[in-house]
Amino acid sequence: MKRFPLKSLVFLVGCVFLFCGISAYAAPPEKIVIGHPACLSGKYAKAGEQAVGGIEACIHWVNKEYGGVTLDGEKVQLDYKKYDCESKKESVTSLIGRLITVDRVDVVFAPYSSGLTLRGAPIAEGHSMLYMDHGGANNKIFEQGFRYTVQTIGPATSYHKGTLDMIKKIAPDAKKVALAYEDSEFATMVMEGAKAHARELGFDVVFERTYPKGVTDLTPLLSAMKATDPDFVLGGGHFEDGQLFNRQMSDLNIDVDCLSLIAAATLPAFYEALGSMAEGVMGPSHWEYGVTYSQEAAKAAGTRWIGPSQDEFVSLFKDATGDADMVPDYHAAEAGAQVLAYVLAVEKAGSVGSKEVRQALGDLEFMSFYGNWDINESGLQVGHSMVDVQWQAGERVIVWPESAQTGKPCYPMPTFAEKAKGKKAQP
Amino acid sequence: MIMEQLAGNMVQGLVLGSVYGMATMGLSLIFGVLKVVNVGHGAFVMVGAFVALFFFNALGLNPVFAVPAAFAIGIVLGLAFYYAAIRKLLHAPELATLLATFSVGVLLEETVKMIFGSEFRGYNWDLGNVDLVFTALPISKIFAAFGSVLIALLLYLWFKRTRTGSAMRSVVEDSRGAEVCGVNVDGVYAMSFALGIGLTVASGVLLTMFIPVGINPYMGGGYTLKAFVIAVLGGLSSPYGAFFGGLVFGLIENTSYTMFALIPGVEPFALTRFLSFLILLIILLIRPTGIIKAK
Repeated sequence: MKRFPLKSLVFLVGCVFLFCGISAYAAPPEKIVIGHPACLSGKYAKAGEQAVGGIEACIHWVNKEYGGVTLDGEKVQLDYKKYDCESKKESVTSLIGRLITVDRVDVVFAPYSSGLTLRGAPIAEGHSMLYMDHGGANNKIFEQGFRYTVQTIGPATSYHKGTLDMIKKIAPDAKKVALAYEDSEFATMVMEGAKAHARELGFDVVFERTYPKGVTDLTPLLSAMKATDPDFVLGGGHFEDGQLFNRQMSDLNIDVDCLSLIAAATLPAFYEALGSMAEGVMGPSHWEYGVTYSQEAAKAAGTRWIGPSQDEFVSLFKDATGDADMVPDYHAAEAGAQVLAYVLAVEKAGSVGSKEVRQALGDLEFMSFYGNWDINESGLQVGHSMVDVQWQAGERVIVWPESAQTGKPCYPMPTFAEKAKGKKAQP
Repeated sequence: MIMEQLAGNMVQGLVLGSVYGMATMGLSLIFGVLKVVNVGHGAFVMVGAFVALFFFNALGLNPVFAVPAAFAIGIVLGLAFYYAAIRKLLHAPELATLLATFSVGVLLEETVKMIFGSEFRGYNWDLGNVDLVFTALPISKIFAAFGSVLIALLLYLWFKRTRTGSAMRSVVEDSRGAEVCGVNVDGVYAMSFALGIGLTVASGVLLTMFIPVGINPYMGGGYTLKAFVIAVLGGLSSPYGAFFGGLVFGLIENTSYTMFALIPGVEPFALTRFLSFLILLIILLIRPTGIIKAK
């Protein structure tokens, strides 16, 4: 029997490998998969529900309106693979591993909150997987040397800059500021930024105390704060403690000219829970319906525009959640905008490889309904600006910056006794 | 100024402590009679909070009326839970009842989430404040404290003055002996479990009268932890001890804050927790049955 020549066999195998390699390299994927350990239950379920709605809305826009992601001249559809992380750190780590190794996703979107985002980052980093942060504002995430983590939400240190600038401008006599906040990575970073900026502007920080997560009574802390007689208060941490903060300030008759609470105060549930007690209360927000970002604004600023308009996003969000009464808040907007950033970066890189897309994200600048997008070398978001929102007559009004105002600020806000008698916050 | 703050925090602590105590009585009762640790305790508190929310926001009714309704709902839930799961697991290893109560807690949380969503809700029952010079005390909190004391008193009288109460006490003392004397032990178990859950759900209403915000399906976790601390403090098998433990816990939480705030460079809230658990540890070491022994 004639033996098959060894040289021919090697040549044949080589050809097969070369063909497979070329095919794999050249052909764009059938779909690009976004993986997400989403907070669908647990303490961050509300923010998680919003984020998923925002992501699905923008994926729908990319697939249907934009036609898909352009890769090697072909349009590729986006797909979305999510699991419920139950707002738990241990679930986040295992689910990210599963998304990368089993589901073979192309990018991982971080879960909501700084703590969960930070917990998942080393896992993504270990797999050299692009990890996009839409809900973790803590600057420390970007001080760990992670190469594949990029931020869409703005950094925590910038949350109260606008609030302080506003007070400095409209109430030059205000001097004393009290800081009372949750003992969490996020709130601590927010207040570090606020404290530094307050001192730059010449305010006196007369009170600074933290309270633990899951606190059920703030009376002792607020009583101590009352004794320092502050002109205005910056505080909060997340949702439930923000409501408690406002409620117990009212219980103890602590009247200040301005109260700004992070996270909680900008949500409709805040006013629904507190009613008139919430009148005049402010909160920094990454996005609010009414902001002025548009295709025309992008053109005027000389930057690229992508994505649905503000109204289109709201409509797509409602379709995605299947709830016509649900209104998107900033958690939805920042998660949706992240989809758009990823799409532009993939197109710019011409690849779905994490390394290439991460590099492209670093060079990317654009505007969407969420605002501007630009990151620094560490992946920290530096392009996005925040707005300050105030409850006036049961409506959320953007009061700062002046360029984005939908109404003038009410300063000082009415006292709790006045609010109990029905007085509304009016500029 | 410090004395004013201290006096104010003592009053606030006593009021809050009475509600904490009430919220723990159900846990102690169930453990005392059935030797079942209800780790889903906080979820039943959460159900009560939603009953109050529903009464106020949907029906426009005073949350005081939600207390008997929540108690009745708790009784029904307790009976259903007892006959569906607990009864079959009474003689199983302790881990089985722990897992069963944990599962029911998760089931309740997710059911409430499906019905009401996961938003943080609240209601605004504002009756004004009583000015005590050194602090302001909302009238709704006074209602909550008064309701807690009243329910604790009624429970005490029911235990001491009724035949059913005596039957329950006899089962706590010696279930085999009680059975020999003709006590329907299974019936007592069912009633105790239902009563314990009823008290816990009713306490959820009272807690919202103290703190009417932050109501959401997952709010119970913090109360479960506090309830265990209070129950051990007061005596895990004694509902009255639990009430007393609640008062002590509320006082420690509130007054120690003022004292710790005098120490420069420390976060008082962190130390109040440290102190609570330190006292718990000391009591466990000195008197493992808690301050008040079950009777």
